[in-house]
Amino acid sequence: MGILDKKLSLRNRSKMLVGIWEDEDKLVEATSALVHDGVHIHDIYTPYPVHGLERIIGARRSRLARVAFLCGLTGFILMTTMIWYMYVLDWPVNVGNKPVRFTPSWIPVMFEGTVLCTAYGMGFFFFWRNRLLLGVKNDLLDDRQTDDRMVIAIECVEGMNESDVLNTMKSNGAVELRELNHGVQTTI
Amino acid sequence: MGHGHHIEIKQETFVVPARAKQFSMIFMVVGLILAGIGIAKIDKSAAGHDEHAKVEAKAEGHDSHEAAKGHEEQEHTAAAAEHHTEEHANVMTEKFGPRMEYHTIDHPWQTKIWANLLVAGYFFLMISLASMFWITIQYAANAGWSAAIKRIPEAMSTFIPVGFIVLLISVFIAKNDIYHWAHYEHLGLKPGQEGYDKVLDGKSGFLNSTMFFVFPIVLVTIWMILGRRLRNLSVQEDNGTKGDITFHNKSIRTSAIFAVIFGFTISFMAWFFIMSVDAHWYSTIFGVYNFITHWVTAITIMALLVAYLKSLGYLNIVSDEHIHDLGKFMFAFTIFWAYIWLSQYLLIWYAQIPEEMYYYQIRFEQYKANFLTNLVMNFCLPFALLLMRSAKRNRYVLGIVGSIMILGHYHDVWFMVFPGVFGPGMQVGLLEIGVFMFFAGLFLIWTLTALTKRGLVPVNHPFIEESAHHDVGV
Repeated sequence: MGILDKKLSLRNRSKMLVGIWEDEDKLVEATSALVHDGVHIHDIYTPYPVHGLERIIGARRSRLARVAFLCGLTGFILMTTMIWYMYVLDWPVNVGNKPVRFTPSWIPVMFEGTVLCTAYGMGFFFFWRNRLLLGVKNDLLDDRQTDDRMVIAIECVEGMNESDVLNTMKSNGAVELRELNHGVQTTI
Repeated sequence: MGHGHHIEIKQETFVVPARAKQFSMIFMVVGLILAGIGIAKIDKSAAGHDEHAKVEAKAEGHDSHEAAKGHEEQEHTAAAAEHHTEEHANVMTEKFGPRMEYHTIDHPWQTKIWANLLVAGYFFLMISLASMFWITIQYAANAGWSAAIKRIPEAMSTFIPVGFIVLLISVFIAKNDIYHWAHYEHLGLKPGQEGYDKVLDGKSGFLNSTMFFVFPIVLVTIWMILGRRLRNLSVQEDNGTKGDITFHNKSIRTSAIFAVIFGFTISFMAWFFIMSVDAHWYSTIFGVYNFITHWVTAITIMALLVAYLKSLGYLNIVSDEHIHDLGKFMFAFTIFWAYIWLSQYLLIWYAQIPEEMYYYQIRFEQYKANFLTNLVMNFCLPFALLLMRSAKRNRYVLGIVGSIMILGHYHDVWFMVFPGVFGPGMQVGLLEIGVFMFFAGLFLIWTLTALTKRGLVPVNHPFIEESAHHDVGV
């Protein structure tokens, strides 16, 4: 998943320009230059968050926070229902003459359930969305984009001057330039 | 924010605005007037012996074995539900002597004033200590983002001596009335004598007047020396040259020393001044609970001061990103406060040991409104209102929620002290509001004045560039 969270299907794309960077500052400069030229950037792929990049290309806020909230809510409801079923409905236990309805002793269960579901939910959805989950086919443009390289993918739209864009990328520190055509990458 | 965007780091000199001065003065004067009305309104007819509170306390079942035979008979028929606990308590009483009795307060209405000063002094002392601790943690953790707002906790920590002196005066004058153990120590009973209290006698090695004064004075002196050293290093760094990190390295070392000493000793303040109000009772998490109450309040005050200075046009390099991070701190430690609160309450509730129970019994049975207010103001409201990202970045939302939290935590300290000292029947009145307003105004003007003493931006701090470009992302 790139910074803009756009789907990338390697097979169906007609044509894309791909630039590879190894230096994050140069990547940021290149992005600024491309945005300034009005080039339609499809997405940018980096192995770690690069400061300021999301503001330059106008990325939306990550939906991970909302996912976390919903997962937490799920965990909260799940655990409340569970302990209510166990403790009230199915098998009330007399513990030191304490009441069996809602008591402070439920709170740790509800809290832990909320935290558990939030943590696992966030992890699951994060990896799923990033196509890093086991069994999900990845869509890497470069094998090292999860390691030490950064990738900018540019959609070739009508009226775009390809050589200008390639020159901009080259002059801003791209170490490699490729063309993606129907899922096949060729070095330019 | 963002790459390539240049931010100029230049020194700023803070001048206390006339409106802030007026505001604090009005706060202090109104506080004094309200406190005066509050004092005038106290029922002074009960002077001499606070029999009223004592009898009511007994009706709650905290009575000594000898004195309360008659009460017991009535209660057994009246409150069957409480029967079990009552009986258990009495068995304990027989075995160990009177443990849950409120002592006679010799000067009931004066004590109310001193207890209020105790709460105020303790609250603002602990806040200043917490802000000092905040700086040391930033140093120890090599945190860069906070360099730009470093002067604000530094200024807040200058209030340490004021808070401590107020606290010492109040306990010095009213110790025997506020603290059950001090009153008992004053009697000087030997084993076998009537009224001998095995628990208090057993604790007297730690809980005695000498320790009570010497220990905190030594501790606060150590903290103050280290804190002063940190503040001086900070000024020396300002006057030095850019790129010179000797002062920074010294600060890291001092911070590490402070953090370790503080971490091990801060609980003593809570034990001596607050927990010993209920001398028979103890809770092992009490020190942590007290610390976190003041820690979250200190961060809240910092956030509000940063937002305030920003709205005046100061702190050029501070952006919404810093305020957002302070908001996150407020939110996170609100949850942590609730976590510690529950950790203390849940175990006592579950174990149901009479000598532990009575702390919450009186606070829940006699002070239900305060008990619930405490939770709502310090957890429910801040949690709900600060959950959204946009709320943490909004100065007005932070201002409203922060004010609720400051009041809530002050009430929390009040609630730890007053039911323990006076038994049932106390309420937050004009005196409480007045004392709080006076010290809040004093704290504000003191902190703002301290901010004028040095530049507002630590320009030679090695992390100041990082702090200026701090960005938490979209």
